[in-house]
Amino acid sequence: MAISETTPLDATVVDQAIGWLVRLRFDRPDPATVQAFEQWLGQHPQHAQAWQRVATLGSEFNGLPPTLARQTLDGAKRQISRREGLKLLGLGLGASSLAWLGREHLPWPGTMADYHTAVGEQRRIVLADGSQLQLNTDSAVDVDFNPQQRQLHLRQGEILVETGADSPYSPARPFWSRTRDGYLHAQRSRFLLRELLHGTLLAVQRGSVTVFAEHGRQTPMRTLGAGEQWLFTANGPLPMANDGLDPWSWSDGVLSARQMRLGAFIDELARYRPGVLRYSPAVADLRVSGTYQLADTDEVLALLAQALPVQVRYRSRYWVTLEVAS
Amino acid sequence: MQSDTDPLTAGIGHLYREHHSWLQGWLSRRVGCRENAADLAQDVFVRLLKSERSPSLLQPRAYLSSIARGLMIDHYRRRALEQAYLDSILHLEPCLIPSEEERLVLLDALERLDRLLDRLKPRVREAFLLAQLEGLSCPQIAERLGVSRATVERDLAKALHACYRLHYGDL
Repeated sequence: MAISETTPLDATVVDQAIGWLVRLRFDRPDPATVQAFEQWLGQHPQHAQAWQRVATLGSEFNGLPPTLARQTLDGAKRQISRREGLKLLGLGLGASSLAWLGREHLPWPGTMADYHTAVGEQRRIVLADGSQLQLNTDSAVDVDFNPQQRQLHLRQGEILVETGADSPYSPARPFWSRTRDGYLHAQRSRFLLRELLHGTLLAVQRGSVTVFAEHGRQTPMRTLGAGEQWLFTANGPLPMANDGLDPWSWSDGVLSARQMRLGAFIDELARYRPGVLRYSPAVADLRVSGTYQLADTDEVLALLAQALPVQVRYRSRYWVTLEVAS
Repeated sequence: MQSDTDPLTAGIGHLYREHHSWLQGWLSRRVGCRENAADLAQDVFVRLLKSERSPSLLQPRAYLSSIARGLMIDHYRRRALEQAYLDSILHLEPCLIPSEEERLVLLDALERLDRLLDRLKPRVREAFLLAQLEGLSCPQIAERLGVSRATVERDLAKALHACYRLHYGDL
């Protein structure tokens, strides 16, 4: 069963895995595609092994500052092709114009607009550049656009951003997000940011997002591509395991869980309810699967009581406990 | 551990004695600098030792010069990258210029990437950079390059195949 790093895999399977990678990483896959992929993945152990290998391909790009990397690679390529066939050493100095992203995020006294949501509330906003901004429950964000750059500042909670085309600007102005734990540069991407106790969670669904520790820092901490989620902490970035919750589901007004610990699910649900929502340790390790409407959290609790051996005790509207069913 | 008496090291030792000064001269004529040539000649033998493969003794000079040619190309590419990097940061404010350590990390990463990209045809390279570095999706790349989406998907698959071969050997 153990397959070493260098064991050749069947070429057809590798082809298939790479085909899936292209669709999942560089296209916006619809649910049917994702489902077909999962089916393929489960079909044969070799599929899973091939996927494990190909999923990390392109990691050479991780952590590179996009603009500077691009200029350097292209510049080197031009020099080499110019000098091919000639004596190659002693390459000349040629200044090229540049628009390095570090120059573009100097402070700018622009207009500020603040958006926030109450507990249980969600908002969807279309920004001036065509970007879509969604605020989850109990969240706050500042929007600061100026002629040089677009910047969001996550002050609290959780947001989902889909960057817009930014017409009539051409090229589009850089899109920055400021968080407690770093600065993010998003490239035509759909990503979410969530403040957690020990860091800021970044998940990328489409495009890529590069995280810098601070303003003006040229070497990024990491670049995340589609499908990745990391926690950025004071001590550096950590990959995040999925706890069974679809982190994007709230943007559709639901919580979608798969074999999620009930305790974690209730903690999540509690964010959408004013007051206290608790559970007894005896039920914490039960598993929850399903899609639950956030619009009515009382209904979610009632559904849980139907599906699992738990009962919901209301001491008041704002003090609710899940316990083992008697 | 290898010792002077094992056949591999002995074979390389023989090559060194017989052909080192010839190789240095060969390199010197090509790179036009005696010091660089000496370093490169040294690197050829270091690479031989590291490869742990018995050197072919049938045509030793052809063998040595082919390794030297590869090293020269690596060397030029690195120089070109360093130069292009300097061009790119030329106008940065001093406080924004990366530290020496950051610069080396970045250049090493770019060197690995450059070696990979060099294996790709121009359109494939471009599509791959747009996708991986700039985060464009297939339809966006198709529009940018004026080709069909299916072509972009094929190009990206080719680029990923090249990555795969680099990491896991030939299929």
